[in-house]
Amino acid sequence: MVNPIMIFILFLGTAFLFALFDKIHRKFSFAILQLVLLINTFIAGQWLYKFVFTSQTPVMIFTAGFKPPFSINLRMGLEEAFILFAVNFVGLLSALYLSKSFKHSKVYPLVLYLMMIMGVNGIVMTRDLFNLFVFLEISSISTYALIALKENEQRLASGFKYMIASGLASVFFLLGTIFIYHITGTLNIDQIITHKSFVITSLGFLSVFTLMMSLIIELKPFPANGWALDVYQTTTSGVVSIIAVANSAGVFYAFYKLLPLIPHNQLLFIAGIGIVSFLFSNLIAIKQTDSRRLLGYSSIAQIGLLITVTALTRYLHVKSSTSLFIISSIFLSNFIAKAGLFWIAGIIKKTHIKEWAILRFKPGLLIIFGVFIFALVGIPPFPNFWAKWDLIRFLALSKLHIWIILILLGSLLEAFYLFRWFGSIVRSEQNEEQLLQPAYKTVPIIIFFLLLIIISIGIPIHIYQFDILPLLPIVGLLILSIFDFLPSKLKAIISMIIIAGYTLYIYPVLSGVSLVFAFIFLAGSFIQLIATMSRKGTDKGFFPLLVGMILSMGSLLVARSSLEFFFAWELMTITAYMLVLRGRKAEKPALLFILFSLAGAYLLLSGLSYAHVINFSLVGLGTIPISAHMLPITAFILIVVAFLIKVGAVGFHIWLPGSYAEAEDDTTSFMSSILSKTGIFGMLILLLFLLKMNMHHSALFTSMLGWIGIFTVFFGSLMAIFQEDVKYLLAYSSMGQLGYIVLCMAAMSHLGWVSGLYLAVNHLFFKAMILLAVAGVISRVGTRNMYEMGGLIKKMPYSFISVLIGIIALSGVPPLSGFGAKWLIYTALLEKGWYFRAGLSFFASAIAFLYLFRLIHTIFLGQPKPQHQNVKEASPFFLIPQFLFIFAIMAISMFPNLIIKPLSTFINPYFASTIQWQGNTLYSSLGYWNGNLVMYVTMGVFMLLLIWLIISIGRVQKVKQFNIVFAAERPFKPTTTHFAHNFYAHYKRALGTFVRPVTTGFWNGVGEWISSAAGSIRQIYSGNGQTYVLYILLYFIVLYFIMGGK
Amino acid sequence: MDTPLVLKILYSLISLAVITIWGLSLGGIVRKIYARVQGRIGPPFWQPFIDIIKTYGKRTAVTHGIMFFLGPVFRIAGGIGTYLFIPAILGSTIFSNFSVSGDVLLVMYFIFFGQLGMALGAGESGHPYSAIGVARGLAQMTAFEVPFALSIIAIVIQYHTLNITTIVLAQQGSILNWTLFTNPLATIAALIALLGMNMHNPFSVVLAPQEIPIGPPTEFHGSYLALMQTNRGIFNAAKLVLYMNLFFGGATNIFALIIKTFSIYMISVVVGVSFPRFRTDQSIKFFLFVPTLIALLAIIILVL
Repeated sequence: MVNPIMIFILFLGTAFLFALFDKIHRKFSFAILQLVLLINTFIAGQWLYKFVFTSQTPVMIFTAGFKPPFSINLRMGLEEAFILFAVNFVGLLSALYLSKSFKHSKVYPLVLYLMMIMGVNGIVMTRDLFNLFVFLEISSISTYALIALKENEQRLASGFKYMIASGLASVFFLLGTIFIYHITGTLNIDQIITHKSFVITSLGFLSVFTLMMSLIIELKPFPANGWALDVYQTTTSGVVSIIAVANSAGVFYAFYKLLPLIPHNQLLFIAGIGIVSFLFSNLIAIKQTDSRRLLGYSSIAQIGLLITVTALTRYLHVKSSTSLFIISSIFLSNFIAKAGLFWIAGIIKKTHIKEWAILRFKPGLLIIFGVFIFALVGIPPFPNFWAKWDLIRFLALSKLHIWIILILLGSLLEAFYLFRWFGSIVRSEQNEEQLLQPAYKTVPIIIFFLLLIIISIGIPIHIYQFDILPLLPIVGLLILSIFDFLPSKLKAIISMIIIAGYTLYIYPVLSGVSLVFAFIFLAGSFIQLIATMSRKGTDKGFFPLLVGMILSMGSLLVARSSLEFFFAWELMTITAYMLVLRGRKAEKPALLFILFSLAGAYLLLSGLSYAHVINFSLVGLGTIPISAHMLPITAFILIVVAFLIKVGAVGFHIWLPGSYAEAEDDTTSFMSSILSKTGIFGMLILLLFLLKMNMHHSALFTSMLGWIGIFTVFFGSLMAIFQEDVKYLLAYSSMGQLGYIVLCMAAMSHLGWVSGLYLAVNHLFFKAMILLAVAGVISRVGTRNMYEMGGLIKKMPYSFISVLIGIIALSGVPPLSGFGAKWLIYTALLEKGWYFRAGLSFFASAIAFLYLFRLIHTIFLGQPKPQHQNVKEASPFFLIPQFLFIFAIMAISMFPNLIIKPLSTFINPYFASTIQWQGNTLYSSLGYWNGNLVMYVTMGVFMLLLIWLIISIGRVQKVKQFNIVFAAERPFKPTTTHFAHNFYAHYKRALGTFVRPVTTGFWNGVGEWISSAAGSIRQIYSGNGQTYVLYILLYFIVLYFIMGGK
Repeated sequence: MDTPLVLKILYSLISLAVITIWGLSLGGIVRKIYARVQGRIGPPFWQPFIDIIKTYGKRTAVTHGIMFFLGPVFRIAGGIGTYLFIPAILGSTIFSNFSVSGDVLLVMYFIFFGQLGMALGAGESGHPYSAIGVARGLAQMTAFEVPFALSIIAIVIQYHTLNITTIVLAQQGSILNWTLFTNPLATIAALIALLGMNMHNPFSVVLAPQEIPIGPPTEFHGSYLALMQTNRGIFNAAKLVLYMNLFFGGATNIFALIIKTFSIYMISVVVGVSFPRFRTDQSIKFFLFVPTLIALLAIIILVL
């Protein structure tokens, strides 16, 4: 093992001799610089390996042959090795990244660069307070020299601001050090910590406060951080990535080292400093359009989060291995992603975030950019995800509610601006531009990207002991990514094979209700994949995401613990988001989708954290005895709201229509007919807990849930009838149908759940059919406005048949399967005594007729348009799945026992059955229904009459368009003859008040308010160095009094 | 219950024939009454039969497409089906129809079968007045469906069953056992809803003579029209039989059926000749206000 002191010897030796090396050749000196960093990385890496994989204990290195307090000592432990490795490694890569500018610069930047990184190394290792000061000085002096070195006014100014700020910080640090030495007589940090009782005296407090404040100011807390933002904004990418990550890492570690000095009761103040920084930086970033400043805000926010988390885990006495894991995961995510993003900024060379759109033409770089952003937000499997999971659990256990709210709120704000940025790039309409991607710049980015991926896969496997099962969605996504160059048809087949294989693989685990959902998620997807074969070319990116999403849904079914469930849930969310974003005009809807989904995910996360049970999953449910206190009311509410967001319940529905409508047409059918039911599945698990727990007030909850369900039905249906865009109409219809399922599940009875599941399956059939048929129509006529279509029945008869069967099945008209759903629902509701809900649901189901008739009439009936003269039937790839679903609907319409009997068996373990069969007749406690006989009677009557009509009238002539009885004038234009636009004007006149966009208005208000808050708060950054100094001083003074200084 | 299938079909045909004749005659009688109220002599009560025979005899030359062709079939199949799922006369094998297929929920939803098919057929005709008529009709339907459904819910609460035969049985014994007297609010709400269903004034905007020629059936002629005219008789009678069963004690013989259905129909007629026509939005607001409140009250009283 190499003595860590070698690191300094190497740095110092090289720095002194550097001018000499440089005389030989720049290439030589640069190679030496690289070599030094490489060796240091290696030394740190070697120690890190020892600490992680062997039982190596931390080592103290004494200098000058004396023991402290008479000499300086260094420490090398797991934490130090970890940070040193990271810092030297990023130094190495950054040097590579900067190689071109180093080649043409003078010699000083190279020396300064070396000194800066050495400073950070020193900060991390030293255990001597004064020595720490020296290293802090070394690193900051070399930093602002580096910033200001280029003759550029802005950089000079920001370097100067940096100098003032860190000068101030140095003064504080020195003062603190002097006081502490005065009190304790030692400069050795460990010794000071053992004597830390001195802090209770007012001088002791002042000294520690001054010392810590110096470090905190260097960590750029809001609002005393204007200087740092200017640095981020103006400095070159290579340098700024070092400042943002390596420097901050060093200072953060110094803070971490000295944190034990802070008395336990003051730790929450420190955490508060962090959370304020986290929250406000993320808030202000919303208004930011300068890409580097935006990244700067995000950096500051992440450091704030680190401060909070460090202080909180200390406050809570979290086990050191766990707190180390949480802190290092957050640290690493930010470290890697931020360095990477700043590097990418150097390639793009554009300031405004909109101009980053050129990334769209560089798929490789775009993927890396996306991955970095996902890592920052904490999407699985990136480290931040796991950190968040553990962190929130601890906070919930310790009942630090407000901290949970603040942390998740901040994260949501961060997700908002990062995803907005990502979406604007993906969906930009900017033209392609030349983008230079030299290898010396891309290699560091790619290395960091790969590192992130390796860490992200390592964490679940090594730390959480995940086996392959929960990781299969990622595997599926990767497999399809490998085959992404193949034509779509082949990829669709590969996807189908993967899904079939996956289904076979998990089949043994499935039983009861999970079989039903497996049928919906997997079999439903399998059939709909046929429709994706209509995609032309290779259509890169679609299939990996789709398979990832489908397998994540499968993962939900077989999850064994809350963590696996949540992991699958988030994976599903992010893949669905990316799929929605593929729609041409999906930028805004996709953003709404991910925001609401993430908000839902955070609610789920906190709900799961408050639950006193670690296996919130269908499989897990069976393995544990359920007791009454497992899901406290808070947890229950949080979780149920999360699922209500997913199904688009009224009040949370505003993300739904846009994302369903603007997603690509075949994606919409997946989202509406399959994905939406994951919310129902989650709710089912929750209700099973509720059922077994015998919770207090549970009747009240389910009753409320029932009302939410029925209002979702009502408003969804009502809004559907006023849409001109067919996909919006169907999106609202979906919302309504999902409301029925919620209503049924909330009934908490045998019949209620049977009808809920029946409807879930039936909805899969008819909604997929209608949406695929509509997708086929849109693909031919090129518009989504229904009034621009008309008379398509003659051109697209098969699509018409499928929509016809679909709307009959949806509306509940006998003899098709929809009536089964209606019969079950009303019987369940009446049995339960939910009369008003039943009444409202009659109303809603009548309203459904309105939009269904409008759908079929304005598209397929009425007058055809001249421009659709030569329209052909939709592609057979669209038609095949539709007809498979028609077959399914016919089968369960003819023989309802095919589906109701198994569903009833699945529900039997939970509720006593209230239905029974006599032959084909189904008896409930209230009524009866023989689907089989209804079918025969209807068909018999219908066929007899039809045959009679055909025989009796003989030959009829088929007339052309406009050959109609028309009074007074001659119809000649389909646009004036086809009654389609504003079809239900009279209905709007009568009930329009109910569809005023109240919810949208509310959420817009929330958005507006946040945005203007951000706008006003950022006014504090005046750009004036003096003002910034004033802020720092005020910050210092105010905090001193807040924390109880006297 | 154990009647052989062939016999069952035969019985149903008889039952159907009777109700068709009665339904059409009822239509004729009502036309006569309307005429007298308006100071005309009016056609004889058998005029509907003449009309139907005439339209059947006419040439059916034109079709606008397959849905147009099927529309009338859907319509009359809907009417006949609705009737066949209702037990018309209590205790009669011949008039029990195919009521073993399902309860009152089936009947309520089967009513939509014909309307939907008709709407589709009318839609394919390409005539704007058809579409306008359908839009109005559907809109009005959603509104009167609310008090109707609520009053049926009230009945279900009252009798704890969805089975029509059981509901009729519960009303036997005395006239005071009729739902009309045991649950007057529900009955009133349902009767107001019936006004909408029958599309007499003030809820006649769907067919709206003088405004749009004749609404949804505008393009239908010859045999199509004949089928629809036949259906008008059957469907009307079927609805009246349903009301009779639910609210007026049902019928134990054919005469009771005739008297009761006639009386129920007269309510629509009296209102129809006395009032002018509502606009669609007005009728929607009306149905969702007065009768809905009455029906809600009926439920609240029962629950309490």
